[in-house]
Amino acid sequence: MYAWQGKVLRVDLTRGTFSTEPLRTDWAKTYVGARGLGTKYMYEEVDPTVDPLSPENKMIMLSGPLTATFAPCGGRYEVVTKGPLTGAIAAANSGGAFGPELKFAGYDAIIFEGKAEKPVYLWIKDDKVEIRDAGALWGKNVPETTDALREVTDPDARVACIGPAGEKLSLIASIMNDHHRAAGRSGVGAVMGAKNLKAVVVKGSGAVQVADQKGFYEACLAAREKIKAHPVGGTGLRMYGTNVLTNILNEVGGYPTNNFQTGTFANADAVGGETVADKQLERPRGCYGCVISCGRGTKVTNPKYAGEGEGPEYESAWGFGGDCGVDDIDAVTKANYICNELGLDTISMGSTIACAMELYEKGCFTKEDTGGIDLSFGNAEAMVEITRLTGLVEGFGKELAQGSYRMAEKYGHPELSMSVKKQEIPAYDPRAVQGIGLNYATANCGAAHVRGYTISPEVLGVPVKVDKDDIESKPGLVKTFQDLTATIDSSGACLFTTFGIGADEYAAMMTTATGTTYSTDDIMTCGDRIFTLERLWNLKAGLTKADDTLPPRLLNEALTEGNSKGAVSHLDQMLPAYYELRGWDADGVPTPAKLEELGIQA
Amino acid sequence: MKVRYFALLRDITGCKEEEWTRPADTVGGLIHDLVARYGSSFERWVMKDGKIWDLVMILVNGRDVRQMSGFETPLKPDDTIVIFPPVGGG
Amino acid sequence: MAKMLVLHAAKCTGCQSCELACSFEHEGIFRPDASRIHVYKWEAESFSVPMMCQQCRDAACVTVCTPHALTRDPVTGLVGLSEDKCIGCKMCVQACPFGGAIWDEISSRIMKCDTCGGDPACARICPTGAIEWVDDVAAVRERKRGFAEKFKEAFSE
Repeated sequence: MYAWQGKVLRVDLTRGTFSTEPLRTDWAKTYVGARGLGTKYMYEEVDPTVDPLSPENKMIMLSGPLTATFAPCGGRYEVVTKGPLTGAIAAANSGGAFGPELKFAGYDAIIFEGKAEKPVYLWIKDDKVEIRDAGALWGKNVPETTDALREVTDPDARVACIGPAGEKLSLIASIMNDHHRAAGRSGVGAVMGAKNLKAVVVKGSGAVQVADQKGFYEACLAAREKIKAHPVGGTGLRMYGTNVLTNILNEVGGYPTNNFQTGTFANADAVGGETVADKQLERPRGCYGCVISCGRGTKVTNPKYAGEGEGPEYESAWGFGGDCGVDDIDAVTKANYICNELGLDTISMGSTIACAMELYEKGCFTKEDTGGIDLSFGNAEAMVEITRLTGLVEGFGKELAQGSYRMAEKYGHPELSMSVKKQEIPAYDPRAVQGIGLNYATANCGAAHVRGYTISPEVLGVPVKVDKDDIESKPGLVKTFQDLTATIDSSGACLFTTFGIGADEYAAMMTTATGTTYSTDDIMTCGDRIFTLERLWNLKAGLTKADDTLPPRLLNEALTEGNSKGAVSHLDQMLPAYYELRGWDADGVPTPAKLEELGIQA
Repeated sequence: MKVRYFALLRDITGCKEEEWTRPADTVGGLIHDLVARYGSSFERWVMKDGKIWDLVMILVNGRDVRQMSGFETPLKPDDTIVIFPPVGGG
Repeated sequence: MAKMLVLHAAKCTGCQSCELACSFEHEGIFRPDASRIHVYKWEAESFSVPMMCQQCRDAACVTVCTPHALTRDPVTGLVGLSEDKCIGCKMCVQACPFGGAIWDEISSRIMKCDTCGGDPACARICPTGAIEWVDDVAAVRERKRGFAEKFKEAFSE
């Protein structure tokens, strides 16, 4: 078998047993791998109405066919499960070197079932698999856990683990791998915690083979050169990281500030990528096989927030920065480090703090409730402290650990949660940029920018500039971006490769790697199929058209300042056309004809 | 008019923003003046094949010139012009 | 003039593309264990260093190689391996202080950098120029220049 390893590891945590089985190659060809293939396994094996934190939910870690190959940025893996934050299908994508190691160990996927009686970790060395006691690790943070596990397994092993947040079932808990990399969203860390699974440790010595060696090498080399030659993929991201976006979004008036109360932040530059490069950047970092190096190896010397690690990415810098009204980059980076150490999703954390700050300023709770923390917008120290408490799920942090929606609902203002399907919205105001709002509303995992990154054409002008305020063009644009993204996520390569290459290059790499012919159209159709299957899962889980929406603030309250002043999201005008383009009926249900076209048996 | 720079352009110009007093009627005129002032390293990040690079983001009072008249977009003395070299993220 | 592989650890991002390129060039598969170059990473400090055969002039591996499978070409300055002469005693692995000679369990043989016959794939593929294949004289000059710049910074105040 080429590109795929042809083998799946199934772990029954309840019984403490495991087995290997052949990969369903028919599914792999049509759902590619990682995100798509994981969704297919979930669809076939798990009742979508299951309680996400019950033993009946499964958690699947998968690489893709291009993972651990010469494909540019082929270092990704995916965690697919039912998301406890959202109740929707979760597909949290992460880089680093964990995914490739899993593949070198010989597996395309690990399916976790049930729940261990006591804390355990899984140790995989090629064919040798052990479920080991993790009692001594429970309560330890991510770096402690990672280092301790390397000592008792292999110094070069790759570790994916949860921190205290996941153990204590925070609904915004992440799974961290290689210290700094996060499968961040939808609360996947809580699923691991609910299964009493502290960590997965892998060391592999095997090979990944491709069908057409010469053809694959040439396709990859061409793709690598295109990305390196692109000003964004080749230069911009390495120099400034993703956080160069802070000033861009602020200048166009789409930088959500103070929990989306405005779209512009007076001191945005202080938390932008240029400032990080000046003050904190040690060196750019890359995930496995990366040609872009957007990762930020950083150090904070300010004694108040001293630390060392990676980040912040744009979304994190925004969440702890502008969204909380905080303009101290050292505090922002410190909060990011804390999330990496305790295992929290930075986007949900930042936005949940912002929501708490608005509730606090509106008088929904007081300093007495928060344990003496003054949660006013702009209070950097409070922002860092509440991040720590949330990661430990202690004190008032217990409230935030449930995510912004549940917290805001408890205090009587669910409308102040800036979320879709209860998942916090990332760092682009959908009032200022119309297409991204449609993507947020329809992304199957809940609000996410990386499901259809229309910011690229709408703001940056990559590959071509599209009017950010136009609504006519957006349903088609969003669908195209969502479909291509679904295939790229499923291939095991990084979405950022689209700053340089597109469906044509993926068709060439997938064909030569797997030996199965994928045309450019096939690449897009695979994405459409994956996206539609996710939708079917969500519908069966009980989500409806009513969940394809945005917080009322973004639909009704016009931006009052900045360069997008006066704008609201016109989601209602885009959604029907989007459904139609997708082949879904007026209620957002895929039509039988569409399912037949995609070869999906519902 | 006020001109503001970001990312690499800050290193090249040595400033974050400046008051540009030499009159330019259009965005194209301004960019040519800036290239004349800051030289080939500036040119490299804003021009391609003798034209303004379409990946460069130039905002005049917050509006992207690629959605106005591009090169020909007229300028007034009290405008704020913002220039981002090709950068991105996610 | 001979050429040498020069490492710039400060430029290494830890992507391990060199390992993929090396194993693919030599074995036609992606298998880091079969790569002649390996990247060592300190994740907590976000630092990484690629390590490979240094093609020593007075090479310990050559000295201990009883069947003379490892020899140094006086013209190119490279230490070559004749696989047909190798008996797999692994003395070279024991002797090399840099870990440049590798015993591969799966293919049951010694592996070492052969500079891909004068066009090393690792240097060709390194996305940041952390690994360079350059004239040895130029390489030394470049190093000196780098250090001289530090002097300049320190004393030109």
